[in-house]
Amino acid sequence: MITSANQPATLWSDLLRESIVELRDMFGTHQQGFDAQTRDDFSRLFNGAHKVASLTSAQESTEDSHELLNALSAIRGYAEMLREDIGDQYEELNNALSQLLQIVHTGTGIETQDSTGVGLTIASEPGFILTVDDRRDNRELVCRYLSRTGHTVATAASGEEALETMSHSDVDVVLLDLIMPGMGGREALHLIKENPDWRATPVIIISGRQDMDGIIDCIEAGADDYLLKPFNPVLLQARIKAGIERKRWHDREQQYRLQLERNERFIRATFGRYLSDEIVTEILENPEGLELGGDLREVTIMMSDIRGFTTLSEQLDPSQVVKILNRYLGAMTDIIMAHQGTIDEFIGDAILAVFGAPQHRDDDADRAVNCALAMQEAMADINKTNRAEGLPEISAGIALNTGDVIAGNIGSERRSKYGFVGHPMNLTARIEDFTGAGELLVSDSTLNHLRGSYRVGRSQELRVKGIEQLVVVHQIMGVTT
Amino acid sequence: MSSSRPILLVEDNELNRDMLSRRLTRAGLTVITATDGRQALTVMAAEQPGLVLMDMNLPVLNGWSACRQARNDPAIKHIPIIALTAHAMDSDRVSALEAGCDDFATKPIDFPQLLVKIDKLIRP
Repeated sequence: MITSANQPATLWSDLLRESIVELRDMFGTHQQGFDAQTRDDFSRLFNGAHKVASLTSAQESTEDSHELLNALSAIRGYAEMLREDIGDQYEELNNALSQLLQIVHTGTGIETQDSTGVGLTIASEPGFILTVDDRRDNRELVCRYLSRTGHTVATAASGEEALETMSHSDVDVVLLDLIMPGMGGREALHLIKENPDWRATPVIIISGRQDMDGIIDCIEAGADDYLLKPFNPVLLQARIKAGIERKRWHDREQQYRLQLERNERFIRATFGRYLSDEIVTEILENPEGLELGGDLREVTIMMSDIRGFTTLSEQLDPSQVVKILNRYLGAMTDIIMAHQGTIDEFIGDAILAVFGAPQHRDDDADRAVNCALAMQEAMADINKTNRAEGLPEISAGIALNTGDVIAGNIGSERRSKYGFVGHPMNLTARIEDFTGAGELLVSDSTLNHLRGSYRVGRSQELRVKGIEQLVVVHQIMGVTT
Repeated sequence: MSSSRPILLVEDNELNRDMLSRRLTRAGLTVITATDGRQALTVMAAEQPGLVLMDMNLPVLNGWSACRQARNDPAIKHIPIIALTAHAMDSDRVSALEAGCDDFATKPIDFPQLLVKIDKLIRP
């Protein structure tokens, strides 16, 4: 059963009337067993209820709030005395009286609220509350009370029913009665706290004062709070409010976590193709170190291509061309990533990679040189495989140059990539044009950035299209051991 | 709980007067009753009760006025008074204390709590 906030609220006075009807029936059944005093107490209790009924049905209530509280006070007093006198002998009557007392509490809570206007109403974000109790009138009391304060309330008459409701709706707070036939509150609590989807849903245990041990057990088992019967309605509101807030925080946290995971997956998928795992992880861990907006930074640029590949490809089957190319690019990609280089793009058989973006490191130039040497070394293996398959041998020339480029997301809304722009990019391509098979040429600026020692071969001055000064380049033969 | 002096219960509402005097008697106290403020002052002077439980909304002379008068009467000003009010507002609590009440309890009365309050005031 779901009661929503905009349903006309049933007054506690209706519940009181129902409760009195029930009590009258029981009194009728048992009155022969009662002494005169008890019978008198019952009749006065009923008088009080009658008084409440006539006061609450009257339209103007402000004048009579004192009278109403007098009547409720009398009902409470007689009900408490009757419980003391005959509660032990008549369990059913005892329950009915306890129920009545609970309604009186609710009634006074509302009355105080009305007479003070503000103060005792605890404003809370509306939530979805599941109230679990085997007694219908208890469920209805809580239900009516909470739906009046703006909450949506679902009810369940047993532990099984409660779990069923939880399995198909997002419950904010569970109000759980401890003692129920079938699956009791304790077992239901265990099942809720064992379920990863429900664990975060706050559970408030409702129990009689005599069952303190049970309450302590439940709190140890993960219950978030408890209320003693008959409970104070203001206290109930306060506990519900706290429970809803706890649930909301948890939901928000969960949402952020999912969003972060989604972002991380997206970043890995987007960058993973041209950045090494290590760099992606580093970016994810230090997002502030990465400015994708486009910035000027010093990088070492690598340009490599297969010597005479265009001529070679004209003599081969397209499938053979693709096979050779993929084998070569695959091996080179692995080596570049192992050296924390960023592959900007493949242009046919040419590879454009950058060291020092998005993440700057002090050994960018050294890694670029070592990477290039490793790439040249790997050619032997590639050619061995090519030979074995009857394919022609290939050789590459690699050029390195260090300078300031603009790095960032370049492109349009529809298609953009992390790329590099600047004069040093063009210069690298020009140097690459001069490389011979199996050769590694580095510019003056790259050589100046190197910290390790390398075997440097011949140096030469190149006249490059579009640049007035001569460009000095150096041949790197290997690492000095 | 026992007291050599009776407790005076001032309450115009018959049902409540009966209920409270029954419960107080059951708790071992001797109870005498009055139904309005003026009667209360007369009984206080004549019987010298150990304590007064006074409803504030009384006919003839209301509880606030009865309290103030009692506090100005040397013959009865020493008798402790617990105000019974229908409102849980702080302003009522303040007016009860200003009128010279020693304590106050709101309706519907939490009986065990009332007994604690009585006990505190009648204990020598």
